[in-house]
Amino acid sequence: MAGNKVLIADDEIHIIHVVAIKLRNNGYDVLSANNGAEAYDMVCAEHPDIIVTDYQMPLMTGVEMIEKLRANEATRQVPVILLTARSFAISQEQQESLGVSACLSKPFSPKELLKSIQDILYQRELVVAPQP
Amino acid sequence: MLKTRKGLVGVAVTVTVASLCVAALTELQVSGIAAGGRNPVSGLRLALYAVGAVGVIVLGVAHLRLAGVVMSIARQLGAQGSGPSGEVKLAGTDALSAAINAYAAGRETLVRRLSAELDDLRIHARLSERQKRHTKAIIYSLRDAVVVVDEQDRLIMANEPAAGLLGFSDDARGKPIADICGEKHREFLEFLHQSAQSGVEGTRREMVFALGEQPHVFDTIVSCVYEGPKVSGVVAVLHDITREKEISQMKNDFVSHVSHELKTPLASITAYSEMLVDGEANDEETRKEFYGIIQTQAQRLNRLIEDILNISRIESGLIKVAKEPVSLAILIEQQMSMIQKYAQEKNITVTRQTPIIFDQVYADKDMISQVIVNLLSNAVKYTLPGGSVRIAAEVDEAAGRVRVTVTDTGVGIPEEELEHLFHKFYRVAANNKHAKGTGLGLNLVKQIVEKVHNGRVFVTSKVGVGSTFGFELPLAALEMAPV
Repeated sequence: MAGNKVLIADDEIHIIHVVAIKLRNNGYDVLSANNGAEAYDMVCAEHPDIIVTDYQMPLMTGVEMIEKLRANEATRQVPVILLTARSFAISQEQQESLGVSACLSKPFSPKELLKSIQDILYQRELVVAPQP
Repeated sequence: MLKTRKGLVGVAVTVTVASLCVAALTELQVSGIAAGGRNPVSGLRLALYAVGAVGVIVLGVAHLRLAGVVMSIARQLGAQGSGPSGEVKLAGTDALSAAINAYAAGRETLVRRLSAELDDLRIHARLSERQKRHTKAIIYSLRDAVVVVDEQDRLIMANEPAAGLLGFSDDARGKPIADICGEKHREFLEFLHQSAQSGVEGTRREMVFALGEQPHVFDTIVSCVYEGPKVSGVVAVLHDITREKEISQMKNDFVSHVSHELKTPLASITAYSEMLVDGEANDEETRKEFYGIIQTQAQRLNRLIEDILNISRIESGLIKVAKEPVSLAILIEQQMSMIQKYAQEKNITVTRQTPIIFDQVYADKDMISQVIVNLLSNAVKYTLPGGSVRIAAEVDEAAGRVRVTVTDTGVGIPEEELEHLFHKFYRVAANNKHAKGTGLGLNLVKQIVEKVHNGRVFVTSKVGVGSTFGFELPLAALEMAPV
């Protein structure tokens, strides 16, 4: 049995790479997408337990993708962590209305990201014991 | 003259008294002769004559004195009217003199005070008229729109910008402002009215007005004018802040873009460094890969900072420009060799077609090299493997210009995006998947060519076919020719 499935959406291939290594090293199953549209399709097809997405991406931004997920009955409950390099991070109200579980500013610490993922999955009782 | 009159009166009195005496004596003599003895009735008549004579004398004297007093008053008052006044002195009539003098003194003070007040009023009127002209001149020379209305919302004054903004005609003065502005400016009218009602000294509101085709934002301040405790009108000043808002927005966008672009490579550097420190790179190969990523991201960060600084220096005119006669053919060849390795990795052919002409342009060598390398690397970046890039230069002697073009067989750019390509941080969203970029490279090309070298940049493109980016520079001979 695999561990929890995490989808990483970012147009920076190096960010996907480093997060994927960190998560795989800690027993997670990792999926990746390069833009919001691709990420949305992947959520519908692969049903990840949690999504880590960049704010600014081509074709469809992270926020647009979250809005689309919330509008879909099948995907509205998926927890999302938002990564942003924007100088003006989104407000608490905006986070709540989007149903964003956590918002991390770039540059971020992979350790902090891992901890956020663990906390959110634990709170939602979605933790799956990874295969040793 | 008075003395003469006094003399005449004296003579008249003397003659009258003498006549009366003669008449009495004659009466006495006649009556005595006729009676032939003492007559008591004649004595009484004589006494009555004497009393009458004395009465006439007393009346004459009194008349004389009264006439003298009246003449003296008339003379002295007449003298006061035509020159500096002195005290009225009437012999033997001290109380009357004092009363007349007091009256004259009071009248003199009153005249002086009224005269001074009249002078003050004249000065105030002149000052007020001058102040009014100054105020009018100030209002009419302002670029801000100024509108003045009275307590009944009638237009008192409006300068030209206000007339243009609110659509006033020349005969608008004195008319109710609601009739002049109409429904179109209802919000402004309500604001004026509310401000007048509230009586607040200065109320401020941002309001949008249509100026030409575009909506403009105006910082509107309405102040009440008071006459005693009552509001007698309002003055509205409307300052167009559209450009300020645009600049502020551009600054915010710039900071936001720069922040995003700087943080992106920094995020990679931070994350990979942490992974190395935490021992998450399990083998030597992974560690080497991480070091390499950190290095390339640091270089990317450096390039980005350099680009931002160069654009900023050019825009502010602080960049040091070292112009000299430059051969574009040589610069093109040098930059081609720099791009060849990258092109080969992507299996893209890069060719050139340049005439062997030296010293073609008078330019900063490093800057023009940057222009050429930016255009070549963009062409390679957005061309799919197997495609080609061609750089060409041609001299138009007649126009006095050199034209350089970089043509690729790349993905192309949608027509509606072409006009934005040279804007700072602009990126074609559809092409993001083909290559990473900051959106600064083409802006830098434009700044260098147009702002520093008085040239021109251009682009043509067709989606799926390819693009041609190019620039024109004046020939060195023209640039170096004495003015």
